[in-house]
Amino acid sequence: MDSAKKISISRRSVLKAGAVATFVLATGITPTMVKADTAQDTPKNPNQIGFMYDQNKCINCKMCAMACKETNNWEEGTEWRRVIVGGKDNKYYLSYSCNHCEDPACASVCPVLAYKKRDKDGIVIHNPDVCVGCKYCMYACPYHVPDFSTATGRINKCHFCYERQDNGEKPACVSKCPTGALSFGVLSELRKAAGATAQLEGMPSPDLTKPSWVLIPKA
Amino acid sequence: MHHWHWLIVIYLFLGGLGAGAYLTSFAAEKGWLGKNSRLKRAGYYIAAPVVAIGTALLVLDLGQGLYKPWLLFRLLFNLGSVMTWGVYILSLFIIIGLIKAFLVFKNKTAPSWLTWAGAVLALATGAYTGLLLAVVKAIPFWNSFLMPVLFVASALSTGLSVTALTAHFLEKEGSTDATEGKVHLALVIVEIVIVAIFFGMMAAGAKGPVGAESASLVISGKYAIVFWGYFIALGLLLPLVVFGLEYQRAKQPGRQVVTEPASLGTEITTTAEGSQQSYLVLVTDLAVLVGGFALRALVIFAALPIWDGKLL
Repeated sequence: MDSAKKISISRRSVLKAGAVATFVLATGITPTMVKADTAQDTPKNPNQIGFMYDQNKCINCKMCAMACKETNNWEEGTEWRRVIVGGKDNKYYLSYSCNHCEDPACASVCPVLAYKKRDKDGIVIHNPDVCVGCKYCMYACPYHVPDFSTATGRINKCHFCYERQDNGEKPACVSKCPTGALSFGVLSELRKAAGATAQLEGMPSPDLTKPSWVLIPKA
Repeated sequence: MHHWHWLIVIYLFLGGLGAGAYLTSFAAEKGWLGKNSRLKRAGYYIAAPVVAIGTALLVLDLGQGLYKPWLLFRLLFNLGSVMTWGVYILSLFIIIGLIKAFLVFKNKTAPSWLTWAGAVLALATGAYTGLLLAVVKAIPFWNSFLMPVLFVASALSTGLSVTALTAHFLEKEGSTDATEGKVHLALVIVEIVIVAIFFGMMAAGAKGPVGAESASLVISGKYAIVFWGYFIALGLLLPLVVFGLEYQRAKQPGRQVVTEPASLGTEITTTAEGSQQSYLVLVTDLAVLVGGFALRALVIFAALPIWDGKLL
């Protein structure tokens, strides 16, 4: 066995392989080039519904979150709807819950198929009875919507009050909003509102999951 | 905003470790690690149990793992979820790995397809632990194809180390060929290159400002000591130097004989040096394991979400 020859061949091939690998790695750092249609495009499902939130009308009373909590009996440690405060002089508010995305990242990563996107209206419903509590969806959702309850060991999130809606009622949060800041409807219609957008500054690009929400930022 | 903690860190580490251990013994069996390598069995013995322990920890981490374990069957349901792929890959790897280990233990020849299936599943296991994270777009630090590549490189390196350590205490026969050190040197160099590209590009903002923020947490922020001390110095540079010197030494046999007059004194020194050297290699193998574990911890704990939940 000519060991010197063996070594020189392996060294050369290692260098070669290294150069090729370096190139491949350098070009391969970006696996997801987001070149999707913009979130303002017509929804794939024409019956997709969504929330609309008008930042000009919100007074931070948190009636929406309280109504949601009462109606849906949030499991301990979960928040289905939140009202957050920020911006200049902390005078900007945002009430948000699940955006019932066109491409829900939660549903695509969930190993046990606990998430279902309804054909009827595009509501993304999570079934806690089959959730194993792996928390993968908590990383996947750019909006931090799925919450884990340590008390029950499973995820909870907003389901757009689908049972109320099936009975012809409004979602609890919308029904209790005193100023009309929070409303809901067919997404393609909501998007026609003046000043409508799907992204606030500093928030995730709507290209990630195509959220079914309409925001009217404070003018 | 960390939803996964130490159990997941250990799980990712053990997944790679077991996969690498199998591939080490597989390579030894194929003769890729030198003639009559002592690594032909040890890796097979530890591979499946190590991955099984990791999987058990994962189950403990699940909210329903002990509460409603029958729900775990559903983990096989979403063929579009990387986690589901992982459940298939790990389950099959554990089964094949146990059969292979049993046959090796009984000195029976395993069917070639079984050995190869194990190797493919081992590679898949190592890649899966990285891919699980790489597909999460909302975590820019994870969302890179380099993640599974880096995890596989680390899996091979830690697998080789754990197998060498186990073989040191387990095997009385077989030899340590210079090829073993050479292969490990190559693995360490490849890993250093991947690490440099990954952190360089991440820090340069290739995955946006949040990815850069994660990278700076690791490189110069609160995880800098773990990164530079445990991962870079212990896990990569020490092995680079030790395996590098071993390689130099192996390349120039008889150098001492040529340059120095043979005497009783030098012979004793050489022997003492030799045994020191083997302890140094053992310590280095331990350091590789520490580095591999540090890498998994860094990747999990430096994960920043694309949105910090605050209103600007």
